[in-house]
Amino acid sequence: MTVTEERVRTVPPAKEARVTDEHGRRIRIGELVLRYALLLLVLAVTVGPFLWQLSTSLKGPTEDIFGSPPGFLPEHPTLHNYQRVADTIPVWDYALNSLKVAGASVVTNCVGSALAGYALARLRYRGRGIATLVFVLAMLVPVEGIIIAQFTTMRELGLNNTLIGVVLPGCVGAMNVLLMRNAFLNLPYEIEEAAYVDGANAWQRFLRIALPSVRGTLAVVAIFAFMGAWDDFLWPLIVLSDPSKFTLTIGLNYLHGTFANDERLVAAGTVIAVAPLIALFACLQRYFFRGVGEGAVKG
Amino acid sequence: MADVTRVRRQLPTSPWLFAAPGLLVVGAFVLYPFVSTVVNSFTDRRTLIPGHFVGLANFRELIHDDMFWTGLRNSTLYIAGVVPALVVLPLLLALLVQKNIPGITFFRSAFYTPVVASIVVVGLIWVWLLDERGLVNSLLETVGIGRIGFLSDQWLLLLSAMAVTVWKGLGYYMIIYLAALANVPRELHEAAAVDGAGAVRRFLTVTVPAVRSTMVLVAALSSVAAFKTFSEVYLLAGPDGGPAGEDTTLVMLVQQTGTGLTGRVGYASALSVVVFVVTVALMLLVLRADRRERT
Amino acid sequence: MRISRRAFALAAAAVLALPLSACGSGGDDGGSTDASGKVEGDITFQTWNLRANFKPYFDGLVADFEKKYPGTKVKWIDQPAEGYADKISADAAGGTLPDVVNVSPDLVAPLAKAGLALDLDKAAAKYKSEYLAGAWASHRIPGTSGTYAFPWYLNTGPLFYNKTLFKQAGLDPEQPPKTYDELFADALKMAQQSDGKVATLANVPTIEDFGRYGSQLMNKAGTGFAFNDAKGVELLTRYKELYDAKALDPQALTATPESTGKKFLTGAVAMNPGSALDLDNFKKQAPSLYKNIGITDQITSTGHVNMYVMGVMVNSRTKHTAAAVAFAHFVTDAQNQMSFAKKVAIFPSTAGSLDDPYFTKEDGTDETRVRIAAAKSLKNAVNYTPVLFSDQMKTALRNEVAKTLQGKESPKTALDNAVKACDRLLQQEG
Repeated sequence: MTVTEERVRTVPPAKEARVTDEHGRRIRIGELVLRYALLLLVLAVTVGPFLWQLSTSLKGPTEDIFGSPPGFLPEHPTLHNYQRVADTIPVWDYALNSLKVAGASVVTNCVGSALAGYALARLRYRGRGIATLVFVLAMLVPVEGIIIAQFTTMRELGLNNTLIGVVLPGCVGAMNVLLMRNAFLNLPYEIEEAAYVDGANAWQRFLRIALPSVRGTLAVVAIFAFMGAWDDFLWPLIVLSDPSKFTLTIGLNYLHGTFANDERLVAAGTVIAVAPLIALFACLQRYFFRGVGEGAVKG
Repeated sequence: MADVTRVRRQLPTSPWLFAAPGLLVVGAFVLYPFVSTVVNSFTDRRTLIPGHFVGLANFRELIHDDMFWTGLRNSTLYIAGVVPALVVLPLLLALLVQKNIPGITFFRSAFYTPVVASIVVVGLIWVWLLDERGLVNSLLETVGIGRIGFLSDQWLLLLSAMAVTVWKGLGYYMIIYLAALANVPRELHEAAAVDGAGAVRRFLTVTVPAVRSTMVLVAALSSVAAFKTFSEVYLLAGPDGGPAGEDTTLVMLVQQTGTGLTGRVGYASALSVVVFVVTVALMLLVLRADRRERT
Repeated sequence: MRISRRAFALAAAAVLALPLSACGSGGDDGGSTDASGKVEGDITFQTWNLRANFKPYFDGLVADFEKKYPGTKVKWIDQPAEGYADKISADAAGGTLPDVVNVSPDLVAPLAKAGLALDLDKAAAKYKSEYLAGAWASHRIPGTSGTYAFPWYLNTGPLFYNKTLFKQAGLDPEQPPKTYDELFADALKMAQQSDGKVATLANVPTIEDFGRYGSQLMNKAGTGFAFNDAKGVELLTRYKELYDAKALDPQALTATPESTGKKFLTGAVAMNPGSALDLDNFKKQAPSLYKNIGITDQITSTGHVNMYVMGVMVNSRTKHTAAAVAFAHFVTDAQNQMSFAKKVAIFPSTAGSLDDPYFTKEDGTDETRVRIAAAKSLKNAVNYTPVLFSDQMKTALRNEVAKTLQGKESPKTALDNAVKACDRLLQQEG
């Protein structure tokens, strides 16, 4: 795989009243209408299911949720289902645990992947090829097959039933390391060359020059790490025993087990699980899109 | 390139210090467990009973296990169904959101939402949507087609799971294409337009060749992921893999045979090893095909 | 790595040197089978998906125990329903199993064989007489000599049926089927009258159904399965007829307990097995259906209905055997089971409890009626599921049953294959 420098060009929206494309050319009205129609169609397909879930979660107990034609908007919107979720499980405690795990995972992944990625991309030493191969292979291992062995290792370290134990196996993701490696490879050598001439060592060059140039990719790694940790179910379930340490995904599983027949309640649970991620993504999306451009791998 | 070689000169220890945390974590929690999986694949170990060395017995049993072939068939079908869709649709989507028309940032982010949501949540949402009394069937009934048992027929189940995989992957690969498209020189398009080429021809003669290598990358990434499919089928078809287990994928089989108190760890490990070998082979195959085509 | 290799060698030697029956008696590693010491120390108690609904009950239970035995401290942990077996197996394999664990008989079997469950015939024989004999016996494991868990709560339930659907099909809603013959006849009629739109049953036959129908399930010695006998083949043949006539729901092959419950609620299926617990659910979810629900006894050809048994086992490696046994007994004693039974529709497994007025005196409500009928049937109920029937075996049986219904195999071939697969799995378990 070779990697080249790429960026999504984010051109500021044109000031003139006319709508233009990224090259400043005017777009015909017909084409524009077609584009928006297609965009709305895709929007309905991608976001629609989430909105349907939200709508279901807001429907009262007397409302028919199976009707045909379906009722898209709740007739008597209520937060009652969310109240019931909170009464059933300590949602806030679990959300806090999830936040701790996800936060720690973001930090360790950003630091660990940036360091390793830099070593793989910029530093020359024997065994670099093998080190790269290690990360590539790690990416291909099927997780379901090794989870018990992971648990045994964790127990030998005495870290089972701790939040650290939840974070540790995913604290430096192989995929993230490779993403960082690509981002560093894309930087022109000349940038560091000047610093080298000034007598900066590897650590200084990494910290002062290379790292600030790949902020976008770091945002990508941060979001991937957060998503991975927040969404994981099987590993936290295996490694944690103490309900006071449960993360949100395990906690919400109580809903599924206890109220499987009540779609409204399950819907409320899924909204609780997904809303923080969407919020986080909405905040970071600008950096994110820039970063994906930086780190993009080309075959 | 004399200046470049100077940058390459390093203190001998520092590179390993940089790579150490990553190597340590990956080694201890991914590779070491995987090595023990490989070792286990030659034993008859069970969850609570340490095994004996049995040589290749597990692999021999695999060949005569109908479920293994079912799993292999489904995982292969999954690649055939999902990969073409994930190579083409996100590219079209990227072209759609590439132009900076007002509100486009919103659309880009919104299209990425399914990627952000956890697969468990996605599974719950789609089980509810495709339920016999769910939204999709309500709509189908309203327009007069009638209800379809998406979640009870062997093939419809597999198709539904593929649809969910594509739905969840669209945004992810769209972004990768978006990055690649930004590098297509605009002059190429203009030259083609001057020649009078229509949108479809321009797409085929300019865009596709320009992002060809990205398409290969997407094909490689998505086929590895498709071969290891677990969650989508597990969540839609249930832990048993649909009627008579006909929708079971290979990784589901690993989970079915190897977990629980009576799990056959040895046999499941042999399955894991097969999955791993096929995945690596798949990756090499795609990359090699790409290289050969280019030269 | 070094430690595990040594353990591996030790265990391998043990397996080779000792006869099968000795596997279950291993109480080593600091744990002792002697429960006569002073009841003290910190122990952990794990339940299975009970926190969401019964937190106050368990908090009270723990507080009472700690008050009764000063010097003890009980930590209660609860696990979600999904992945419980995975959780227990990770803990068992990793040596982090809690001291007192809520289990079902099929979970106990592998734990007992691995020497992780305390033999209560040795450690707690004096309590044996407090429980119903059948309940106590349900945690015996064929091939071992002991009993490996205290019986906890029992459950069984009636069959619910939709009177409206019965009426529409021209069946008498006050005369629900009582025997399998009647059930199958009614189901076929229902399907015919509704043009295949209304099925009567929504589940494929499971091992309990085979047992209730009169199949032998296992040979006498407990060394092999036998549900491919004449009765078994007959049952599957009749289910195939139902399936072809759409009297068994076409989606039965992918049904889960939740999905069948939903189908019954929405009137797509006419009968559903359930428990007293479901009544409440019907009332809330489908008030209009509730008025038309009929309740009848479980159908059985053997005279014994099926029951589910929950147990409480003691980890044989616990550091505080006396406290763990005392607590497991405390949780399952007559008084505490009775008060738990009054919180939720389950039934105590302690001798005499089912004669309590709570389980015998009508008060005119449906709940009480169901409760009394269930309590009565429990006195000679059987836990049909063989304790050695593992998840992998369940999958094997289910897949073969599905193949028959789809018409890919004859009932006889399918059951022969299933028995063969299960026997092989049984042997591998050793």
